[in-house]
Amino acid sequence: MAALSEEVLLVVKRVRQRKQDGTLYLMAERIAWGPEGKDRFTVSHLYADIRCQKISPDGKAKIQLQLVLHTGESTNFHFSNESTALRDRDAAKDLLQQLLPKFKKRANKELEEKNRMLQEDPVLFQLYKDLVVSQVISAEEFWANRLSLNNVDHSASNNKQEVGISAAFLADIRPQTDGCNGLRYNLTSDIIESIFRTYPAVKQKYAENVPHNLTEKEFWTRFFQSHYFHRDRISTGLQDIFSECAKQDEKGLRSMVVQGVKNPLVDLLSLEDKTLDEGYGSNSMAPSTSSANKTVKENSNSAIIKRFNHHSAMVLAAGAGKKADAPNDQASETSSTDGNSRDSDFFQPPVKKVKIQEAIEYEDLHMENGKKTVALNLKKSDRYSHGPVPLLPQQYTTSQDIINSVNCIQQEIANYKPCLTQVMSSSTASSAIAALSPGGLLMQAGSQQAINQMVPSDVQGELKHLYTAAGELLRHFWSCFPVNTPFLEEKVVKMKSNLERFQMTKLRPFQEKIQRQYLSTNLTGHLEDMFQMAYNKFHAWQTRQMLRKT
Amino acid sequence: MVMASEDEVSLLVIVVDVNPIWWGQQANREPQFTLSKCLDAVMVMGNSHLVMTRNNKLAIIASHCQESHFLYPFKLWKSGDGHGDDNPSTSGDGKYELLSVANDIMAEEIKILMSRTEVKGNQTDTLLAGSLAKALCYIHRVTKELEAGQEIKSRILVIKAADDCALQYMNFMNVIFAAQKQSILIDACVLDSDSGLLQQACDITGGLYLMIPQKIALAQYLLWVFLPDSDQRSQLVLPPPVHVDYRAACFCHRNLIEIGYVCSVCLSIFCNFSPICTTCETAFKIPLPQMVKAKKKKLKPST
Repeated sequence: MAALSEEVLLVVKRVRQRKQDGTLYLMAERIAWGPEGKDRFTVSHLYADIRCQKISPDGKAKIQLQLVLHTGESTNFHFSNESTALRDRDAAKDLLQQLLPKFKKRANKELEEKNRMLQEDPVLFQLYKDLVVSQVISAEEFWANRLSLNNVDHSASNNKQEVGISAAFLADIRPQTDGCNGLRYNLTSDIIESIFRTYPAVKQKYAENVPHNLTEKEFWTRFFQSHYFHRDRISTGLQDIFSECAKQDEKGLRSMVVQGVKNPLVDLLSLEDKTLDEGYGSNSMAPSTSSANKTVKENSNSAIIKRFNHHSAMVLAAGAGKKADAPNDQASETSSTDGNSRDSDFFQPPVKKVKIQEAIEYEDLHMENGKKTVALNLKKSDRYSHGPVPLLPQQYTTSQDIINSVNCIQQEIANYKPCLTQVMSSSTASSAIAALSPGGLLMQAGSQQAINQMVPSDVQGELKHLYTAAGELLRHFWSCFPVNTPFLEEKVVKMKSNLERFQMTKLRPFQEKIQRQYLSTNLTGHLEDMFQMAYNKFHAWQTRQMLRKT
Repeated sequence: MVMASEDEVSLLVIVVDVNPIWWGQQANREPQFTLSKCLDAVMVMGNSHLVMTRNNKLAIIASHCQESHFLYPFKLWKSGDGHGDDNPSTSGDGKYELLSVANDIMAEEIKILMSRTEVKGNQTDTLLAGSLAKALCYIHRVTKELEAGQEIKSRILVIKAADDCALQYMNFMNVIFAAQKQSILIDACVLDSDSGLLQQACDITGGLYLMIPQKIALAQYLLWVFLPDSDQRSQLVLPPPVHVDYRAACFCHRNLIEIGYVCSVCLSIFCNFSPICTTCETAFKIPLPQMVKAKKKKLKPST
């Protein structure tokens, strides 16, 4: 099974799979394992089929590597060589880590995408079943329109935003007691990345020392032990590699303070810690700022606050990214060089100017400079206010009629006396009631039962599916017109045959079924009409084609 | 849910078409059903509504060809002010005093209205749109005068005799949409010929439209179909809704059309295509058929 021309990248002996000893081979395009003594491979996986790999945790006795495939299966390899097991496993793991990304098939992603779409949308799934599974239409045509919609979404999601840094990442480390007076720090790669991004000085130290002088584990142990990490940063001197970092931090903090805030509307200096102290403020003793007079407690407090500010500033700086720095530098340059010679207004740093501009101007209050519009010019606007011409002709009354009628009425009403006991006779009342009862003269329209009460719900469901499927086919058919290219010609012929096939395989059985159930309503008349129109159009097109050719 | 709560007021406004010309002619056509009979039936309906619940209110508007006049309630009443000066002659039959007072007022007012009718040749149409507008205003006023915590449900019942007036179309439509916005039902009981405007009104506001076959049984139809309010109607079997003709009228001939052409600038509707819209004078390009191009292609090889 091993192809002779395959390039073998790594061979690992003494690897057990399913309790059998054997050898693991990593090739250019696949990974394979063969039992001891045999030259066949019993297990072989292309890198393209492997979804991910997993390794057993460090403390365990068994050193294992697991491969998880796209299909969900997994294969376990147990490295059983006493001396070199861990190294072998890590070597295999590293090689796979490099190779797997290259082979991640694009096509598999599409398949997963299709599956996801089918699972999410039951209507689509039903349509797929009706059309593709029953061979009415091919799968490519089915997916032709749909996949293009989704590719747009993918490209949008590829431009991911950079994840920011949590300000509490150091606090999240949460040391656990080891049981014997030691502390255990759990460092994940996320935390390590956060530390490197926030404190580039630490990253530098890491690059310098690991792996030449210290292992990773030792580096981090020293890091946590050093006073650099702890609250009270009393410089120890000694061999602490982090004392330089502390000095760099101090320098950084000072330069930040000097730079100040570029927003002229923010005045940081007005924020001061003023305690009322003894005497509730009546003591006129001014707070001294010289460091000599400070108590020990004040010193440690100010140290913590300084570190806190520095930490927050570094987190923000790391999250802001590199783009923000460049214009800021330019801004500070322009302000420093020509600040003396020109007018001070002109050469305020642009950031400052923008901030002031924002504060004093409101967009809404600006003059409207909208696009030029054309006025609507209605010549006969009274047309809108007339309704339709009455369908029945108006009765024409002569003036004599009018006079007579009015006189008649006036006489009648002048002698009007309400006689409420004889409004109508009982016979007229009962005939009126009869007309209003169900089945009566006035109730005819309501006696028809609604169609959806007469047809069983499974028939209704099937009808809905038929409509969806037929609609899809008809959409493909009608989108071919006007037929301009030979591709469309082929497609239109194919679609016509598809429609006929659909009518044969799906529509006719359904019609027979409802006939057998004695349903007299014509449920499929509209579908038949639609198909007939499509056929008519096709025939018309075909005859026109033949006329053109002759 | 069916019983109205103590705080729910139900207001019924009856708009009666008392066009003297139509009713005068009707007196000759059908002597057994004249305006008097019609007014009797309306009174029965009004009394029944007042008697249903103590919280029910009533208003009756007579729609004449010269004015719209409130037959009930009496205009000069102020709330709480009794009609003390009038003769305390409640009707001798022991009727509920509110009803007897109401009936007397209605009779009195219709007499006053008819007595001041003047004969004018150009005013022969019922001012129905105006009456409906007055009804809406009255409902609005009553709604504003409610006590705190009271809710009101109003509806308008139109009893129509004469034909539609085409000139009132816009006003009518405005009234209908205003009623719809205020959730006021418009019911219609039509005596003579179908009215497209009222059909639309009933359809849009959710009311009932009925054209009655027997005018003399008017009271029975009113009590059966129009007395229950909208909550109770869902529990009853009533005549089904009528199919309404919502077709638009073309601007050139005022014919009702199903398929037409609409100018995209001024939205005026035409039955035939014309390259220039006559309302807003916008010019439109005529789309060329594709056959012209094909023919040109054919010519080339032959030459």
